[in-house]
Amino acid sequence: MIPEYLLRALLASIMISVLLGMLSPLINMKGLAFLTHATFHSLLFGAVLGMILGLLIGNLGIIIWVALVVTIFVVITIAEIENRGFTSDTAIGIVSSFVAGATVLGFGILYKVMASRPYFALSESIVSYLTGEVFLITISDLEMLIFGGFLLFLLMLFLYRNFLYVSFDPEGVESYGGNVRAYLMILYVIVGAIGALIVKTVGLITLQVVAVLPGAIAMMLSDDLRKIVGISLFLTLSIEILSIFLAYATNIPPSGITTILLGVIYGALTFKK
Amino acid sequence: MEAVRAENVSIYYDGYTAVENLTFKLEEGETLLLLGPNGAGKTTLLRTLAGFHTEYIGKLIVFGKHPLEAKDLISYVPQSHYLNERVPLTALEVVAMGGIYKRGFVHFKIPNEILKSAEEVLEFVGLKHIKDKLFKELSGGQKQRVLLARALISNPKLLLLDEPLSALDPSARVEVANILSKIKNEKGITMIITTHDVNPLTEIGDKIMLLNKQLVAFGTPEEVLRDEIISRVYGPLSKAIKIGSKLYCIIGDVHIHRGERR
Repeated sequence: MIPEYLLRALLASIMISVLLGMLSPLINMKGLAFLTHATFHSLLFGAVLGMILGLLIGNLGIIIWVALVVTIFVVITIAEIENRGFTSDTAIGIVSSFVAGATVLGFGILYKVMASRPYFALSESIVSYLTGEVFLITISDLEMLIFGGFLLFLLMLFLYRNFLYVSFDPEGVESYGGNVRAYLMILYVIVGAIGALIVKTVGLITLQVVAVLPGAIAMMLSDDLRKIVGISLFLTLSIEILSIFLAYATNIPPSGITTILLGVIYGALTFKK
Repeated sequence: MEAVRAENVSIYYDGYTAVENLTFKLEEGETLLLLGPNGAGKTTLLRTLAGFHTEYIGKLIVFGKHPLEAKDLISYVPQSHYLNERVPLTALEVVAMGGIYKRGFVHFKIPNEILKSAEEVLEFVGLKHIKDKLFKELSGGQKQRVLLARALISNPKLLLLDEPLSALDPSARVEVANILSKIKNEKGITMIITTHDVNPLTEIGDKIMLLNKQLVAFGTPEEVLRDEIISRVYGPLSKAIKIGSKLYCIIGDVHIHRGERR
C-alpha cells in the first residue's frame, strides 16, 4: 500500500514534469535562462512579502498568491522595459537588482514580524520555498497545482508554435502581422506562473536547474522538435519519479537528487560530445 | 502607380541622425538597389519602410499609405544570420510563418491551405524537395531562398530585402539573384534591395540609390554607376566598368563616410 503522502508527491511530480518538460525546450531555444533565474528570484521576494502579509492578517494561505502576483508583475515589468528598446539582459538586470534588494529588506521586516507573533509553521514554510518539499504537499496544494497546471499546459500547448516563431524571428512575426509583444508577455507570464505554482514542491534553489537542463539535454540529443519536447518530458518525468523513490528510501530531499541527476546526465553528454 | 514616395525624410536612431533629408520616388514594379557603406543608413531606411522604426520626420508613403498602415502590403526579408537557428524549424514551417498571422492569434496547427501555399512558393524558388529539411541544415543560398518564399506567401506588393547576398559564395549569389529576377519578371513585385555587391543585381535594378547618411545619387544604373559618383562614397579606387551592355562596379576597400569627405 502506497502511503498517501507518497501518492500526492507522485501526482505533483507528474504535473511538474509535464509543465517543465514542455517549458524547458522553449527556455533554451529562446535563451530565457537569465529571465528564468530572475523570475524565480522574484518568487522568493513574493513569498517573503506573502509571509509578512500572511502573519499580519493571520492567513498564511495567501503566500502563494502574493508570490504569484509579484512574479507576474516582475515579468511584465521586464517585458515592458524590453519593449522600450532595451536588451533582455539589461531589462532583467535593472529589475533583478530591485528584486534582490527588496528581498533582503523583506527578510529583515519578516524577522521583526515573526518576533512579535507565533511563527512555528512559517519557519517550515520558508524552508520549503527554498529547498522544496514535495512530501509535505497538501491536498489543497495538489488541487491548485493540477488545476493551475492544466490551464498553463493548455495555454502553452495552443501557443507553442507562436512561441517558436517568436524565438526564431521576432521581426519576421511582426512583419507578417503577429503581435510579438503579446506573445512574449504571455510566455514570460507562463514562466512566472509555473514557477509560482511549483516552487513549494521543487524549491527555489533547484528550480532554475530543473527548468533549464531537461531542455538543454534534449537539444543535445535531437534536432527534431517533437523529439526534443518528448525527450524533455520523459527525462523530467523519469528523473522526478526516480528522485521521489530515492528520497523515500534515503531520506534525502528529492529536489537535491533531481538536480544532481540532471547535472550528471548533462555533464556526461557534454564530455561525450 | 507610385509604390514608395519619400519627401524630406530624416530618420533618427538612438538620438543620432541615421538618414538625413531623403527624397525619392519608386514606381510600382520597379526594383531599387540601395548601396552604401556600413553605417550609411540602408537598413534603417528599410526598417522604417517596413514599419519597424517610426522615429522619423518628413513624408513617407507606401502605396498611398503610412508604412504602419501598409504592413499588409509589405514583406521584409532580414539577413539570415539574424535568425535564431536553435529553434528547429523545417523549411516548410519557416515559409508557413509568413502566412499564418493573418489568421488570428492562436496557431496550434498550421492550416492545410497555408501548407499548400507554402509548398507552392517553395516550388517557385526551386526548393520544394527540401521542404522537410531543418532550416539550419540548409546552405546559405537555400536559406535566403526559403526566406524569399516566406516573404512571397503573403502576396506582398513591396518586398524589402536586407542584404540578401551577404555571406554567400559567388554561386549562391547567382542562385539568389536568379530568384529575385524571377520574382520581378513573373510576379512584378516592387523590390528594394540593400546590397554591398551590386554586380549580380544590376540586370534587375531599375533604379540605384547611393546612400551615405544622405542621398548621394539616385537614378538608373547608367546614371549612378559612374566613377565620379561611386568614388565619392567608396574612394578613388572604385570604378564602374561596362562590358557589353552590362555595368559592373568595382568597389575598393575604402569607405568614405559623410563628414570624412575631402
